[in-house]
Amino acid sequence: MPQLFRPYADTVARSVLVAIVVVPVLGIAIAYWVSASEYTTGQSTFVDQPVPFSHAHHVGGLGLDCRYCHTGVEVSPVAGIPPTHTCMTCHSQLYTQAAMLAPVRESLANDRPIHWNKVNRLPDYVYFDHSIHVAKGIGCTTCHGSVASMPLMRQAAPLTMGWCLDCHRNPAPNIRPRSAMFDPSWNFPDDQAERGIILAHQYLHNKHLADCSVCHR
Amino acid sequence: MSKHAKSSGDIRRGEPPLEFDLDRRSALRLFVGGVAAALTSCGKPPEEIVPYVQIPERETPGLPLQFATALPLAGYGRGVIVTSVEGRPIKVNGNPRHPASLGSTDLYGEAAILSLYDPDRSKAPYSSKRIQSWSSLEAALRPRLDRHRTKQGEGLALLTGRITSPTLLAQIEALTKAMPLMRWYRYEPVDDDAVRGGAMLAFGQAATMLPRFRDARVVLALDADPIGFGPEQVRFAREIIEARRPRAPDESLRLYAVEPDWSLTGALADHRLALQPERIRNVAIEIARTLGAGLEEPGLPEEASQFAKTVAADLSARRGAALVLAGPRQPADVQALCHWINAQLLGPADFIAPVDRVATGHSESLRSLASEVRVGGIETLIVIGANPIYDAPGDIGFGDTVARVPFAVHIGCYRDETAERCTWHAPLTHVLEGWSDIRSFDGTASIIQPLIRPLYDSRDVHQILAMLQGELSASSLDIVRNTWKTAGGNDWDGWWRQTLQDGVVPNTASGKISLPEPRLPQVAPAAPAENYTLILSPDPSLFDGSMANNAWLQECAKPFTRQVWGNALHLAEADAHDLGMTDGDVVQLKRGEATLEAAIFVRPGQATRVISTTLGYGRTHAGSIGSGVGFDIYRLRQADTPWLSANVTISKTGRRENLLRTQHFFELEGEAEELQPRLTLADFAKGNRGDFKLNAPDANLPTLYPAPQYDTYEWAMAIDVSACIGCNACVVACQAENNVPVVGPEEIANGRDMHWLRIDDYVVDGRPGFTPMPCMHCEHAPCEPVCPVAASIHDSEGLNLQVYNRCVGTRFCESNCPYKVRRFNFFGYADGQEYANLGAEITKAVFNPDVSVRSRGVMEKCTYCVQRISGARREAEKEGRNVREGEVVTACQAACPTQAINLGNLSDPKANIHSLRTDARSYALLGNLGTRPRTTYLAHVRNPNPDFGKARR
Repeated sequence: MPQLFRPYADTVARSVLVAIVVVPVLGIAIAYWVSASEYTTGQSTFVDQPVPFSHAHHVGGLGLDCRYCHTGVEVSPVAGIPPTHTCMTCHSQLYTQAAMLAPVRESLANDRPIHWNKVNRLPDYVYFDHSIHVAKGIGCTTCHGSVASMPLMRQAAPLTMGWCLDCHRNPAPNIRPRSAMFDPSWNFPDDQAERGIILAHQYLHNKHLADCSVCHR
Repeated sequence: MSKHAKSSGDIRRGEPPLEFDLDRRSALRLFVGGVAAALTSCGKPPEEIVPYVQIPERETPGLPLQFATALPLAGYGRGVIVTSVEGRPIKVNGNPRHPASLGSTDLYGEAAILSLYDPDRSKAPYSSKRIQSWSSLEAALRPRLDRHRTKQGEGLALLTGRITSPTLLAQIEALTKAMPLMRWYRYEPVDDDAVRGGAMLAFGQAATMLPRFRDARVVLALDADPIGFGPEQVRFAREIIEARRPRAPDESLRLYAVEPDWSLTGALADHRLALQPERIRNVAIEIARTLGAGLEEPGLPEEASQFAKTVAADLSARRGAALVLAGPRQPADVQALCHWINAQLLGPADFIAPVDRVATGHSESLRSLASEVRVGGIETLIVIGANPIYDAPGDIGFGDTVARVPFAVHIGCYRDETAERCTWHAPLTHVLEGWSDIRSFDGTASIIQPLIRPLYDSRDVHQILAMLQGELSASSLDIVRNTWKTAGGNDWDGWWRQTLQDGVVPNTASGKISLPEPRLPQVAPAAPAENYTLILSPDPSLFDGSMANNAWLQECAKPFTRQVWGNALHLAEADAHDLGMTDGDVVQLKRGEATLEAAIFVRPGQATRVISTTLGYGRTHAGSIGSGVGFDIYRLRQADTPWLSANVTISKTGRRENLLRTQHFFELEGEAEELQPRLTLADFAKGNRGDFKLNAPDANLPTLYPAPQYDTYEWAMAIDVSACIGCNACVVACQAENNVPVVGPEEIANGRDMHWLRIDDYVVDGRPGFTPMPCMHCEHAPCEPVCPVAASIHDSEGLNLQVYNRCVGTRFCESNCPYKVRRFNFFGYADGQEYANLGAEITKAVFNPDVSVRSRGVMEKCTYCVQRISGARREAEKEGRNVREGEVVTACQAACPTQAINLGNLSDPKANIHSLRTDARSYALLGNLGTRPRTTYLAHVRNPNPDFGKARR
């Protein structure tokens, strides 16, 4: 009677036994890695825009305040994208013929808004409020990254629920003094660990930032 | 998969809607397809941000704006403040400065916002079976108008509803001046002809009575429903409930009602007598006789006679604070008799000159139009904002007459029944889209300002009237401003801005007039009716039918019957027994030649030999929501006695119909006496709670739940059951605020309903009472431990949350909720599988952006308007303070005309909510379950007359 199993059958059997353990673990690990990857979260990806607006030029170079354009950031849930009129306060005088700015001029001439593509996106069931974050010491660059050095806007943070909760559970490392809220070049000091706790004590009254109803309703 | 059945024809066939037509193979195919799509999908679709070109004044994206305006009901205005987000009105709120609102709303006002975005609204002029333009209408109209003008308006007629707009009245006056022979007719289905006639008979001049309920201590409503549905509801309900707040028994208003069927006033009354409408005059006569009127002795049954005598004694004892009211169903002589009685009693009531200045009766006006048409006297008829083909009394035969008019133009919001029969139809703007003005029932004028530019190619009434005057491009803002040009004084622009902001034109309430002593009319008593009498009333959901295409109203459960999506004939228990009929039997109703088939509904507590029903149903051209729902009783209506038809015969057809009622969908386990405990004021004042079993809200019953720990706000709600009149304003307000979808009649028939807030009816000793039922937000919530995914969970402020994006739809929470307040999206009621046309793109504009639109398979329920709590908390934190008392007002609380609902913060020791929870009347519903509900109730208190013995009626 011939041999039922070839010599390599042992190897196959061992590999299968190992695979039974390793594949699910690896599968879960890969799934987690994919879901947290920039590919899925959209972090660091650039989005095409009708006008290649450069924050590096306007903020980093010219030093415009964030609130010059994003007027709602201190009072409203949305920071707001500036109306065409805001662009034209300068560009009716500067670069009036630039090809790059043609969509802006057309928008004004035809009374048609510019359709910008959204960079930082949250799901519809998340009710994010810019004004309360600004009021509580979370500066623009904490979430939006160093916009002063971004020629084109990209999503600087993963914007996952885990990322939100990290800060909602322990805000102190991310709180800066109110005076530095709109400073694009602000860096956290070396003793932020202590300063943050003091500022959190000063600014924060809601002790339950991780309640579901804080963001979902 | 089949979508919702769209027409009510499908309902009648009884087809199961929303069913999957899928065999095993196609299911597998779809599954594989789905997996493949999921694996290859490339993430979220791109989203755009579209800013303004030039930002409108005061607009900050993301922040709502509020504008004061007014909404009409039966021609009278109710002041409102409308919330608008990014130019899109989304919510109607009351205007505290307006005398007909006092900060509250009614269900019609709340629902008006949905009608604005109704996809069935008329969008363009229409004639000869095709879409036309305004200029072709103008071209067709101009030569005719020119011809009429040369003949001083002969042959030209205008038909409108009730008009109280000073601007529109001035325009009509100008038109009549230019064309003296032009005829203006006006017809409002909810008329007040008898009430007017009564004042004429009593005083010899027209006058409107405005009762001062705050000063009244005894009120007898003779078939009157002052807190019922209509333009005065909010104001009168507030005043009556204020006067009834539990105090010493003789300081609190005692309410008596004599009525043939159930009204909200009858439900609230301390004593109620069911009596045939014809014999109610006998009660009035009986009372007048005790006050010295030389009238013939009326024959009344023993019980009614006793009732009348006891009430008369109570009225006479409170001279100066006693009032008798007669409702619009009672004829003019009874009204006049009541005026005489009030004069003897020195009743607290003021009189004003009628706000509606037209003296001709509504039916009379319509009848003279019909006869004018029949003799060929009308060549051109312009109908503005009225729908007489549908709502004219059947015996006028208006439908046939319009067809005889050579040139009839209908201008209205919908291409309705009248539009179909007219030569031309043209779209009218919604009230939130144009400039106008309007007076409330007490004469106070408001400017109506637009919240949004007209969505369609429509024009408002002022532009139409200007067009008739020959002005083609008139601006209604200029026309309205012109009316008030003389009002403002020196700083007119400032005055105008302030008036717009307040929503009330200052000093426009009608002044009191002094009237002569009312004369005693010779009222003969009535014998009991031999045959059945049909009585009508405006519908609690649809009012007169003009709002029939509003799905929120169609699905709003009527008080007492909890009926939705239809009406029914109401029959007394004894009569139903005699005729051998039960709920749902279809009967034939016959009055003279007119017949009608409709289902009946047996109503305990209704007078015998009375069939009652409501207006507003049986529309044929309302739109995809309202067409073909219910039956049209206007066909049996009589022009002479519009609210009552004697000598009606009723016979069985043998067919049955399924009446859609939500009454038992979410019924609580328990006896009515325990679920809605009732006290008498006398016992309550003595501290004697009788058999009122107090379920203390904070009772510490043994529990396995961990003890709750709270260190921040603790939200709690207290609802005064005594103050709830069952008007449904809160129910529709909740629907508007929280994006609550309608499910449609088919789903209702399946026992499904999405309302977060419902009103439960409990009948104790034959008397109904209302309990609003939001979520109880139990501290020991039974829904929470059974959720496998922690979607039902508490937050630190004591709110019982439902996290939609966690919910997997097991419905364990729903089964475990003893209060039955959880609602499940069996289908995508709001998200892809909407009823009829509510999934239309335009209807999405009504959504509140602060509240998630729930998708299929998700559980939802009342959140105490967590978005408002969160908004107030964020505002407070930005200012570095705590949320103040009164800063969080839930949608139901804001809407409530009687302020029965209160939300407060228990962690604030000074908050008013503490006194409401520790009040002697406070109880927790099913408190014995140990759920520690945050919503508590204040027990129902009546103020019965001790002379009646045990208060049963």
